[in-house]
Amino acid sequence: MTDGTKVETGLFYTSEHEWAKPDGDIVIIGISDYAQAALHEIVYVEPPKKDAEVTQGGAIGAVESVKAVSDFYSPVTGTVVEVNEALMNNPEKINADPYGEGWIAKIKPNNWAANVAKLMDAEKYKQHITTLKH
Amino acid sequence: MELRKTHIYQYHAEHGNVVDFGGYAMPVWYEGIIAEHKAVRDACGIFDTSHMGRVYAEGPDVVKFLDYVDTNDVAALTDGKGVYGVMCKPDGGIVDDLIVYRMSAEKFLVVYNAGNRAKDFAWLQKNTKGFKVKLTDMSDKVGMIAVQGPKAVEMLAKISATDPGAIERFNVAPLKVSGFDCLAARTGYTGEDGFELFILEDPVATPEKSLKVWNDLVAAGAKPCGLGARDSLRLEAGLWLYGNDIDETINPIEAGLKWVVKMKKPSYFNGRRALEGIIEKGVVRTLLGIQLTERGIPRHGYEVYDGEKRIGVVTSGGVAPTLDESIALAYLPPEYKEPGKEIQVKIRVNLVKGKIVKHHPFYDETKYGWKRVKA
Repeated sequence: MTDGTKVETGLFYTSEHEWAKPDGDIVIIGISDYAQAALHEIVYVEPPKKDAEVTQGGAIGAVESVKAVSDFYSPVTGTVVEVNEALMNNPEKINADPYGEGWIAKIKPNNWAANVAKLMDAEKYKQHITTLKH
Repeated sequence: MELRKTHIYQYHAEHGNVVDFGGYAMPVWYEGIIAEHKAVRDACGIFDTSHMGRVYAEGPDVVKFLDYVDTNDVAALTDGKGVYGVMCKPDGGIVDDLIVYRMSAEKFLVVYNAGNRAKDFAWLQKNTKGFKVKLTDMSDKVGMIAVQGPKAVEMLAKISATDPGAIERFNVAPLKVSGFDCLAARTGYTGEDGFELFILEDPVATPEKSLKVWNDLVAAGAKPCGLGARDSLRLEAGLWLYGNDIDETINPIEAGLKWVVKMKKPSYFNGRRALEGIIEKGVVRTLLGIQLTERGIPRHGYEVYDGEKRIGVVTSGGVAPTLDESIALAYLPPEYKEPGKEIQVKIRVNLVKGKIVKHHPFYDETKYGWKRVKA
């Protein structure tokens, strides 16, 4: 299942397969290609609420396939400034484009430097998912 | 621990997403749960059910024995007929649900859940005391494939020597499939028309016959389906899953299975006295269907509320691909049984609104399910 898994460079990852991408003074978050492939057909996303305060490592929502529920943990501490409303009716966008149209929320971080120090870069994350294979 | 392999394992390993299911290496899906689910509702899908328990019960007392362990009326069966029922403990708790087929006056085929194979065989064996009956576990000697959907007859006919459509619902008959001797039972676990095929004399160590039947069905146009679709299909049909909706702490009256408990049987059967008392006193909880009216997916174990009050728990839940709705089965107080009654399901931290709906099945039977298929 993990063969051909895409890991995008320039993003930062958690061991639970969330990604965070700095974009100006906000951070865009989502789940990795590995996570979407493991879940397979995603049928429901429960994003965090706009204006919610979130903490790095805290459960802020869920991504669900027919068979499974996967909690979604915030890779960053801050305030939710936008959620991807398009996922409400088209959650399968996460399967199709996990690093692009499948983004889940945008966060205004309190201290990105402190958060990123606890995340993996693409190289490290690639190694991490290799250890999970078989 | 090494996973146990079924007759069709070779195909699963090559084409499926295989997981540990109760100690068996089984596919959750091949292409995807939704596509497989829809194939069964619209046309025909096939399932490896070789992990299920299948036992021959034989002997002069076999009818009396089965009428003692099974709540349904086994004595009423004639040759070639089967019946769904449950086995109860003396307190009325459900040991398992099962189907028994009468092959002849002194020989029955008994089919029960994969997860209960060891438990059920031991239970049956223990209950043979005083009856002239012999049990033979055939699970590893006979392959089993379910062929399900409105086109099941058409698909199976392509590789059978005689017309499988001649077999009536809940009947079992010999059928030559792919040139091999099989038994074909007109039953299933999807709500659709279809068959459960027993591929005879095909040991699990060298399952060439079962694999040939499977591959011939695939070539004929049947879609291989995994356990994911099996679960979503049975949920839409409102069929009970042992371990979720029924278990040893639940009795058939509260599970909505009173129709398989035949008090008119003259003799005693396991659980009879307890169940008579439960019927007389009335139940405090009953299995009901829920459809959410807000977004969310109810799952096994989620709590059900009426405002502030916790009223029960979801035993099975999920998305219903045919209905495009979120549905669930839950044990609730009987006063909630009226369709339309509003409740809430606690999903993570939120109370999500839903209502009671008919659940056996959840779908419209003029559009889906075996009843719409004209013989």
